[in-house]
Amino acid sequence: MTHFSQFGIDAALCQRVLQAALSRGADDADLFFEHSGSTSVALSDNKVNRASTHVDLGVGVRVVVGDQVGYAYTEDLADTSMIQAARIAAEIAAGNRQHAPVSINEKRLADRYRASLPWEEVSLEARVRMVRDWEARAFAADPRVLKVETSLGDSYKHVLVVRPDGRAVYDYQPMTRGWVVVTAKDGERRESSAANLAQRAGLEFYTEERVARLCQKAVADTVALFEATKAPAGEMTVVLGAGSSGILLHEAIGHGLEADFNRKGISIFADRVGTRIAPEGVTVVDDGTLPFARGTINTDDEGNPTERTVLVENGILRGFLHDEISARHYGVAPTGSGRRESFRHVVLPRMRSTYMDPGPHAPEEIIASVDRGIYCADFANGQVQIGAGDFAFYVRRGYLIEGGKLTRPIKDVNLIGNGPDVLASIEMVGNDLHIDEGGWTCGKDGQSVPVSQGMPTVKVSKLSVGGVSQ
Amino acid sequence: MSQLFELARGTVARAQALGAAEVSVSVSRSTEISMMRRAGKLEQATQATSLGLSLSLLVDDRYSGHATSDLRPEALDAFLRRAIDATRVLEPEPERRQPDVADCGRGASEEVLDSFDNSRGALPVEARREAAERLEAAVDALPNRKQVLSATIYVGDSEEESVRVMSNGFEGARRGTGFGAGVEMTLEEPGGRRPEAMAWYGANHRGDLPGAEAIAAEAWKRAAERLGAKPIASGRYPMLLQNHAAGRILGVIGGPLSGSELHQQRSFLSGRKDTPIASDRLTLTDVPDIPRAPGSRPWDGDGLVARRMPVIENGILRNYYINTYYGRKLGMPPTTGGRSNWVVSPGSRSPAEILRDVSRCIVVTGFLGGNSNGLTGDFSFGVQGLLVEHGEVVGHIGEMNVSGNIEEVLKALVEPSTDVWTWSSLRTPSLFFDGIQFSGT
Repeated sequence: MTHFSQFGIDAALCQRVLQAALSRGADDADLFFEHSGSTSVALSDNKVNRASTHVDLGVGVRVVVGDQVGYAYTEDLADTSMIQAARIAAEIAAGNRQHAPVSINEKRLADRYRASLPWEEVSLEARVRMVRDWEARAFAADPRVLKVETSLGDSYKHVLVVRPDGRAVYDYQPMTRGWVVVTAKDGERRESSAANLAQRAGLEFYTEERVARLCQKAVADTVALFEATKAPAGEMTVVLGAGSSGILLHEAIGHGLEADFNRKGISIFADRVGTRIAPEGVTVVDDGTLPFARGTINTDDEGNPTERTVLVENGILRGFLHDEISARHYGVAPTGSGRRESFRHVVLPRMRSTYMDPGPHAPEEIIASVDRGIYCADFANGQVQIGAGDFAFYVRRGYLIEGGKLTRPIKDVNLIGNGPDVLASIEMVGNDLHIDEGGWTCGKDGQSVPVSQGMPTVKVSKLSVGGVSQ
Repeated sequence: MSQLFELARGTVARAQALGAAEVSVSVSRSTEISMMRRAGKLEQATQATSLGLSLSLLVDDRYSGHATSDLRPEALDAFLRRAIDATRVLEPEPERRQPDVADCGRGASEEVLDSFDNSRGALPVEARREAAERLEAAVDALPNRKQVLSATIYVGDSEEESVRVMSNGFEGARRGTGFGAGVEMTLEEPGGRRPEAMAWYGANHRGDLPGAEAIAAEAWKRAAERLGAKPIASGRYPMLLQNHAAGRILGVIGGPLSGSELHQQRSFLSGRKDTPIASDRLTLTDVPDIPRAPGSRPWDGDGLVARRMPVIENGILRNYYINTYYGRKLGMPPTTGGRSNWVVSPGSRSPAEILRDVSRCIVVTGFLGGNSNGLTGDFSFGVQGLLVEHGEVVGHIGEMNVSGNIEEVLKALVEPSTDVWTWSSLRTPSLFFDGIQFSGT
């Protein structure tokens, strides 16, 4: 079966477009075809009252000369439009390299997220029943629940990457995300919180266990805020709960190891490969292969196979996340990390699923070792400055730790630290690695891509907590 | 423009023929060129033209919204059929009906908004290359160039025209151009830290952009202010919030002012109209008709005529952001669904004059991460800045957080300064507050 028909094109046309892209003597080029669609239904005010659909179709043409990139895209897949885009992208080049046309071979590289119940076969009525069911569960979970909003989104992407060496790599990328937003009232106080689950999967993702967990978490996280107060201020020991605290890795080290920043010498990790950056026992991985994970890909957006990349092994920095341009710069193989938001965007080295391998300690043992500090349970957004290494992440909910025990609940606090300092101050790693199933999205240079993250319970001896002086 | 109108009108008619009672269609076409330069060569050049269509439908009082870039006639027809079928399975909500056409239309004229630079069409691609080269040359000419580890130059421009056709009879067209130039600079610091900062400017007209030397100097200044940054002791300090950074703090009230958050009972500003929520020194106005300003617009998301609206007047909350739908839900008259330009009225003293009289003050120059809670107004953000004593910079600050409750912070505003920032839809001077909670060591 040919995948060219998905886009209304054929192999011969792709060769003509590639020839136009290479016509000024570029080193390399690629065509990135994308046909994507999404559907969502949403409930508020006890009504399933909003639906949306989105369709996108187009091709991006990239021309590469050394580390220079010319890029153009078009939503019109007619010959003339694509060849014009290729000529525009080619303007960056002025060389004399010749490329003989080769025959194109279609292939798929892996099969890590085959949906057993694809969304194309799920009726809208079924989606409506699901968001209603989630609403009913949330209301039933606690009498203080005042308002519930739920939504179910699903999307698909057909992508085809065509290269001058004859590779035509196809992938079908499904995604779904379920949301439950709860507002609750206790006396005169109101609080609101949300939970979401996401995966590259079809309807089968929403098992009874997951749906129960989603609705229960949205309500439990909301009513827990009634007891919570502001956190203390200043530097203290921080214990990160297993799962979504992987956001610390994403910000503290992940971005800093994306090789484009290092190729330019602007990352604080640029000249530290082979050196110790964390204590023995700390191993950090960025993995594109976890079955069904939101950050997983069968092929990266340059048509290369993806992999499990060990970034830090027992505390030693092993390497970076590469796309082809950075891999060529460093003389290594690409790590399958070249990603883009859509055909409108250039490829950049990006994270996939970032996590820390488990260590020897039971989570209770880690908490018991802290005399005074905070425990972080639920996370929101984060941000990093690549060069200075300073990073921050926002804790929606947590606890004070006093005398080795979780005591007063806390909420809404930003934590800030310096990546290398924080990695060096990891004191204990738990045995409870958990890859979070939340719908994490990573932003870089104006491009958003889906990612996953995970973490065992971890103790960091010092982070700055943005609370209130006691 | 006529092509776009033809597509929009045809889509409205087709959707109505397929069973939609109300339809609103927007079609926009844009072109963009951007260039990135680093280390003496052009590293990236992007050029594209884009055409997209979005629509909202009301079918038997059921509402949905859709967008597509696949505009082949047969694909568009199939898209419309699916969209209408999808809408029928929802529950009716008559509050979604379009506003009366009498309330729709153009506020400020195209001449007043002046958002289109006619010279863009004739600008050769080469002109962008040269602009990027000039900016790089300005960086290379900086007196402290040796300390610059890397400088990435961004130059780009775009042009967009769009039309809106609604089945209530409203039709409108608008167009605009945008030009941008910026430098992202990383400096070298002993000990391995590589502090970075970005200075970026955008304008509707090419001639309004600052010169290359000014942009390079600003990027240097911002990056240099991060050299040797470190936290200081936690505590309450006076805070001068720099004009270009103020959006992070003022933005905390954005969500809570919106009709959706009021309706979902998720806003700490619910029931607070015409009561004080800030110091009487704060006046914040929504102004959609500032010539050449990035947030200016002739009409809003519902097609309603864009009008000037007081948001906070001498500390008193005057208006929420309520679109037609939430107006009907809340039983309140609609204002507008979202902000245009936010204008903060300036005070009478420059930042230097204010700082001269303060014994110890944190000047916040930028933020890192953080978030807020719309139900309580509590926030916590990472900050970078300067420690200033009697007007003299005595240290650079980093790895610190600023936390508090936005209402308490706005009430702690002592005075707005005079240096209004005009490069953003938030037009504010630097703002001086007393007794703000910072946490560091």
